[in-house]
Amino acid sequence: MSTQVFIFGALNGVGIGMIYFILSIGLTMIFGLMQFVNFAHGAFYMVSAYAAFAIAQWTGSVLPALLISPLLAAIFALVSERVLLQRTYNLPHEAQILITFALAILAQETVTMIFGTLGKNVPVPEMFNGVVILGGFVYPSYRLFVVAVAVVVAVVMWLAIERTRLGAMLRAAAENAEMVGLLGFDSRKIFMGAFAFGGALAGLAGALAAPLRGVEPLMGREALAIAFVVVILGGLGSFSGALLAALLIGITQSLMSMIWPGGAHLMIYGVMTMILAFRPTGLMGRS
Amino acid sequence: MTNASPRFPNGTTVAIGAILVALPWVLPSLTLASEILVVATGALSCTLLLGSVGLLSFGQGLYFGLGAYVSAILIRDFGMNASVAALAASVAGCLLAAAAGLLIVRRQGVYFVMLTLAFAQMGFFLALAFPKLTAGENGLGNVPRTTIAFGKFALSSPGLLYAFLALLCFAAFAIVQRIIASPFGSVLNSIRHNDNRSEALGYDVRRFKFAAVTIAGGIAALAGAMNTLMLSFVPLSAVDVETSERLLIASLIGGVGSPLGALVGATVLGAMSDFLSPVWPRWSMIVALLLIVVVLFLRDGLLGLGSVMGRHRKEAPNG
Amino acid sequence: MRNRREILAAAAVGIAAPALLRRAWAQQDAIEIGSLVSLSGTFANIGEQVDIGSKVAFDYYKTAAGKPLRYVQMDDQGDPGRAVRLTQDAIRDRGIRFFMNCTNSAIALAVAKEVANSGGVYINQAGADEMTGSLCNKNTFRWPVATYSAVNTTVRPFMKQFPDAKKWYTITGQYVFGDSLLKNLKDVLGELGGQHIGNSYHSLSDREYSGFITAAIAAQPDVLCICNFGSQTIDVLRQAVSFGMKRNTKIVVVWSTGLDQFQSLGPDICEGVYFGANYWHGVDTPGNRLLSGVIKEKLKVTPSYLLTAGWACTQATVEALNKAGSTDVPAVIKAFETLSFEGPTGLEKVRAEDHQVLKDYYLLLGKPKAKMRDKDDYVEVLSAEKAFLSPDKTGCKL
Repeated sequence: MSTQVFIFGALNGVGIGMIYFILSIGLTMIFGLMQFVNFAHGAFYMVSAYAAFAIAQWTGSVLPALLISPLLAAIFALVSERVLLQRTYNLPHEAQILITFALAILAQETVTMIFGTLGKNVPVPEMFNGVVILGGFVYPSYRLFVVAVAVVVAVVMWLAIERTRLGAMLRAAAENAEMVGLLGFDSRKIFMGAFAFGGALAGLAGALAAPLRGVEPLMGREALAIAFVVVILGGLGSFSGALLAALLIGITQSLMSMIWPGGAHLMIYGVMTMILAFRPTGLMGRS
Repeated sequence: MTNASPRFPNGTTVAIGAILVALPWVLPSLTLASEILVVATGALSCTLLLGSVGLLSFGQGLYFGLGAYVSAILIRDFGMNASVAALAASVAGCLLAAAAGLLIVRRQGVYFVMLTLAFAQMGFFLALAFPKLTAGENGLGNVPRTTIAFGKFALSSPGLLYAFLALLCFAAFAIVQRIIASPFGSVLNSIRHNDNRSEALGYDVRRFKFAAVTIAGGIAALAGAMNTLMLSFVPLSAVDVETSERLLIASLIGGVGSPLGALVGATVLGAMSDFLSPVWPRWSMIVALLLIVVVLFLRDGLLGLGSVMGRHRKEAPNG
Repeated sequence: MRNRREILAAAAVGIAAPALLRRAWAQQDAIEIGSLVSLSGTFANIGEQVDIGSKVAFDYYKTAAGKPLRYVQMDDQGDPGRAVRLTQDAIRDRGIRFFMNCTNSAIALAVAKEVANSGGVYINQAGADEMTGSLCNKNTFRWPVATYSAVNTTVRPFMKQFPDAKKWYTITGQYVFGDSLLKNLKDVLGELGGQHIGNSYHSLSDREYSGFITAAIAAQPDVLCICNFGSQTIDVLRQAVSFGMKRNTKIVVVWSTGLDQFQSLGPDICEGVYFGANYWHGVDTPGNRLLSGVIKEKLKVTPSYLLTAGWACTQATVEALNKAGSTDVPAVIKAFETLSFEGPTGLEKVRAEDHQVLKDYYLLLGKPKAKMRDKDDYVEVLSAEKAFLSPDKTGCKL
């Protein structure tokens, strides 16, 4: 196979990686900020994708959904936090996992009740309906748009983490969760904010993904599986780790699909197992 | 539950035996009763891990699937009888769990959970990657109805099949009860209460966790073998993550404080899925709500005998 | 003992069980037919449609062999193990001998074995070749065509139309069904002088196919052939089209479920793509006119493959029962084996040697949106052919 093919494969892998990054960043943020394991992350993503579908049906374009859906997902996350999740803050991680797992089932079944079991198509916005050709490398315009959004999100997040008070707090929390309380932050507000923001990020990913892959009730499960692999590989709670891991997985997946596709999943989970067993803080996490 | 080790055999042993005898009379379908036995045995492995050592496993389906495939292949291709196949499946489950255990007991909390999940995923992809062995998505069929042992007692009658499954199930429960009542069990219990203190008392915590993970793997594999005996067939779903989830949910709903909880949970879950699904396809919402109620308010599960959650609260780590 | 158990059960379980039992006691004279459909779980999207199609057919036919028909819905939740259990219960506790439907091949293969062991009759929509191949049995029949037929009836007419399209690239599901499609495709290409220049396997849980598609584009094929099933077909096609593959490559989807997939893809993606399908509502046959009329009247929708598959299995069972004139299982099997009926795709015949229903398989071409006469008029029918592996080659021994 020619070198050019491999270069295309790697470039495409970067694209997949950025899509995975935006899918995972909310999950790692919630964990980093409050040591909370959120199995409902995929549910936020799915609910938002369905909202995007409904908005696209209503207005004829999915573009407004890119703003509205994340907002709805944030509200959903916030309501879940107030009604249900905040009751688990004093419980061990295991209880949080189980509660958010149950919440994900509830969301999935509710969406099935409203929209039915069959998958639905969300048309790509008119202005991105085509391909970009870069020296023999063909790439869908809409994918390029998604990657661009992901890059913007990554840059904004990085600036926020490095330059703002919130970022300082986030970094402090990743070092030592109890410290944040001692520094005089109102932990109740931080947690609410974390969930709203994490939900919005999952929601943005869902709205962006809807035209890429359509919507169906089980899409949240699949997104959660990807997000967990990325977050664990990168180190739970680490922002730069998630970016690195997402790119690594995207490129591996893209190249493996040319070499040995049957082994791609096996390998990804194999690597994840090794990392969990020997270096649980992942690529970039601090222990 | 107090810190004093429960005795064995005790009232719970009698209750388990009574339920096993009563199930086929109480339930409208004998196959439902058989399925409950399979799920109860599988759930028991989660109960053992969570209830006595405080380990949450999202991956018992891996061993369940292994036991199902191993027993099916032994019966179909090597003409083994049901007892030998079930025993061999359990041993295979122990071995795999021991191998995995070497890695997973190094981790605690979230990382432990994630590791069990990652292993279960790998098992699923392995089963799919070797269709010659597992028949892939079509499921491994043509497993003959074998005999219990020595070419006697063919498992072709549903009544006898139930009786044999009940016997295996009872044996698994008795073993777990015996373990909990042993000195080994009380060390596990103290590890569950407080890892560090047990370490300080001179126990090699990892070694005890390793032993528990290994035994639990064997029990889950036994459940898988029972599933093969019941169905004469191994679907790919035997090894998927949803099987792991089902076993875990059954054990939680029943309550992980006592082995009896696994049986109660499996019965409730089995009956719910049989009676509710024809009425309302979205019935798993009720399961999810029940799960929330159990975790938040009924930490002892439906049994109410005391569970890990309550005593694991962060504000009272020594409680 | 059975009665005592039922009474105890009724007392113990409250409302649900007695309702079931009352149904069992009522109307002893009716023919009960068990229908295996997944209404909850991962396969609910399929089961729901098959269930509706069968129910409409029951409402339409009402009787068979002079007796009233009763539809017994069995929700297997997508789990083959559960399907086996429900079948055992239905046979043992309710004495049901006739079964139909399935939502995946694993369920069909497992249920077929149970039904054969207990001496019943079962007709299903499994895709796996084993159904009328190495795992066939005396009691089971299969309505859709095997992978051999699907490949031969789509690829041959396609190659006749485009003799210059020599270079084929395949994207295949790495599971038993995908491999069967691929093997048959290679055989046909070898025979007709096509060239198989590459294949990408994806796994049962892949969702992101851009890597495979990039590889396919790099190979510069004349034809991209998609060999998988279900929602993965939709995803591969959607992503291939988004990568602009339609511009200089023809795309052939060998195994499509037709309308429901077109609806979830939308007309823009379907345009210019070649699909193989077991059923299309636009085909003018007496059987199709009948079922389309009934479905449109009752459900106000255009019949999809899944609805029709539910209908077709019901129709075949009813026709066989009528032909046998009794509910005696050997007589019904005999009637089935020589059955020919005006089915959804025209005159359909059951082949006695392997219990395969011999029926047309279609090659369809996606229309431009402007040429669609109504919202469901996605494709034109290019060919309707029958091609079946000779019975001695299927591996089926009855």
